[in-house]
Amino acid sequence: MNIFTKKSDPSGEAQKLLILKNLSAWYTPEKHVLSDVSLELGSNEVVGLIGLNGAGKTTFIKTISGLLTRFQVETAVWNGRGFSFRDKAFKQARYTVFAEDRSFQYFTFREYISYAAASYGKKLPDLSELIRGFGFEAYTDVLLKELSTGNLKKAYLITAFALRPELLLLDEPVNGLDFQSTEYLYRQINGYRQYGTVLFSSHILESICLTSDRVLVLEQGRISRSFTGQEIQADRIREVLGKHEITF
Amino acid sequence: MKSLFENYGKNTPFSAIAKQLFGKKYERISRSLALCMILFTAVYGAGFRIQVSPAVLFLTAFVFSAGIMWQVLNSSQNGELFMGLFMLPFDNRKMLISYVLAFGSYTLITKTAVVFALFFALSRWGAAEIGAAVLLACAGCLGSAGLYIAAHMGKGVPGKRMDAYIFYQPPASQGKKRRTGRRGGILWYLLRYVTSNKNYLANTAGLWLIACFLPLMLGQFEGLDTLPMGFAILSMNTPICILLSCDPGLEQAVRLLPGQAVRFCGAYGLFIALVNFTESSVYLVSWQAIRGGIGCADILTAAVFAMASAAMSVFLEWRHPIRGWKIENDLWHHLRKYIVPLVMLLAGAWIGM
Repeated sequence: MNIFTKKSDPSGEAQKLLILKNLSAWYTPEKHVLSDVSLELGSNEVVGLIGLNGAGKTTFIKTISGLLTRFQVETAVWNGRGFSFRDKAFKQARYTVFAEDRSFQYFTFREYISYAAASYGKKLPDLSELIRGFGFEAYTDVLLKELSTGNLKKAYLITAFALRPELLLLDEPVNGLDFQSTEYLYRQINGYRQYGTVLFSSHILESICLTSDRVLVLEQGRISRSFTGQEIQADRIREVLGKHEITF
Repeated sequence: MKSLFENYGKNTPFSAIAKQLFGKKYERISRSLALCMILFTAVYGAGFRIQVSPAVLFLTAFVFSAGIMWQVLNSSQNGELFMGLFMLPFDNRKMLISYVLAFGSYTLITKTAVVFALFFALSRWGAAEIGAAVLLACAGCLGSAGLYIAAHMGKGVPGKRMDAYIFYQPPASQGKKRRTGRRGGILWYLLRYVTSNKNYLANTAGLWLIACFLPLMLGQFEGLDTLPMGFAILSMNTPICILLSCDPGLEQAVRLLPGQAVRFCGAYGLFIALVNFTESSVYLVSWQAIRGGIGCADILTAAVFAMASAAMSVFLEWRHPIRGWKIENDLWHHLRKYIVPLVMLLAGAWIGM
C-alpha cells in the first residue's frame, strides 16, 4: 500500500498563495546568507527545500517567519496583496516549527497548544488522532522542559497540524523523530494539501521525495534548481547536491 | 591584561573557559576596563567626594566579590555552556585551577572593578588600602570557590574528593511529573518559571528583606517624603525583568505567535506589577510599624509605582532585549537594569518634594 499518495495539481494552475521576488538576508552586511531568492507558492501544495549545511534554509524560514530584520525583498505578495512578514494577518495565517526550539519550557503540551490556539484565535480540534499517531500519549501533561529532543519536536508538530494554518513552515521536521513518527509525519504532510500549503526544509532526501510536489535546491543563498513531478527522484537530486552530504 | 590572557596557555582549559566568559578575543576585558575608566573619570571629575571608612571598602570588596563569584559558579546555564569542555579528556588538577581562575578573573574584571572605580573616585585612598582591597576581593572569590567545592564534594567521580566534574552540574530534572493544567495562562507560566529558579526566588526574598529595613534608612532624610523613593528602589527586581532576554527560545516563540504584544506583554506586565506591589506592601507594613501614618493615598502610590515600573520593564524587554551576553550573570548586572529604578527614583523624589 502506498501511504504517501500525492494529490498535487501538476498543471500549476493553483492560485498563488505567496510570491517573493529577490529576497536577500544577512547577519553581517558583508556576507549575504540569502541572495535574490525568488519563490512562488501555490495554494494547497507541498514544497520541499533542500540544501547542504549553511545553504541558508533556516535563515530563509526565519525570515519568512518575521524573526529577522536584516533583509530586503523587492516584491512580497500574500494572497494577491502586498504584505510584510510581521503583518498581523500573515502571522495569523502561518505557523513555523523550527529545527531547534526550546520555547515555553514551563508549559505542558496541553497548556502550550491551548495558548497557541488562543493566540491564533482558533478553537482546538480533537487532538487524539494526532497524539496517537505521533506516539505522544504519555507526554501531554509533562512540562516541555522535561521532554527529550524528539518528543519536543512532536509537541510542536502536533500543534502545527492541529492549528491548520494556511501556510505551514517546517524546518528540518524529520530531525529527532523515531521511525514510526517519521512515517506518520509524511502522511500528515501529504494529507495537509486539503488544508493549506507546506514549505519544509530537509537534509533527508527520502522526506522530500515522498511528499513534495516541487523541490527547490538552495545553494549558497540562491535557489539554483527546482524539480517537479517525475523529476523528483533521489538520484537526480543527489547528483545536484553531491553524494556525501545527503542522507537517504 | 588582554595580552596576558592571550599568552597564558593557548588551547588550555583556562583559555577555553576564559574565551567563553570574555569573548573570542577577550574583548570584554578592554570593554570592562574602559567602562571603569569612564565611570572613575566622570565621578572624579564631578568633584563629588564623601568620607568612606576603609572597613566599608574592605567589607564591600570581600562580600561583593564573594557574592558574585557564588552567583556565577551556581548559574544554571553553566552545565549547558561547558558540556563540550567536560566531554573532552582533561587533567583534573589543571581543570579545577583553570575553572576557579577563569571565573575569578571574570568576577574581578567585569564586576568588582566597577565597584572599585566608584569607591576610588568618591574617596581618597592610600596604596596600602587599595592593595588590601584588591587582595580581599581575590580572597572573596577564592573563598566562594572553596565553599562551592566543599558544598559539592563527593558529587563527582566516586572516591575522588576534589573532582573537577563538581563544576559540571547538568540541569536538574524533576522527572516527568504530570501536571493537571489544561489552559495555558502566561501568569501561571511565569510563576512556574520564577519558582523553578532558586536564584530568582532568593533575589525576591532579598528584596522583601530590604523592604523590611528600608523605612529605617529612608526615614533619615528630613524635609522630604521618602516613602515613594522606597517604591522606586524596590522596583529593581532584576531577574523578573529579564525573563525574555535570558530565554532566547521563549523570545523567538513569543515573536512568532500572533497578537503577543498584547497577550504576552499584558500578562508579563501584570506579573511584574504584582511582584513589585507585593514588595511594596511589605515596605508599607514595615513603614507603618516603624513610623506610622500610612494611608490610602500611599497604597495607591505603591500601586501606581508598581504598574509604571512594570510597564517600563516590559517595554524595555520587548523593544530592547539584552543580546550578546556570554553567561547569565552578564544579564543580572547589565546597565539596563538601572534605567527603570532611576526613572522611578526621580519620580519618587519629585513626588516627595
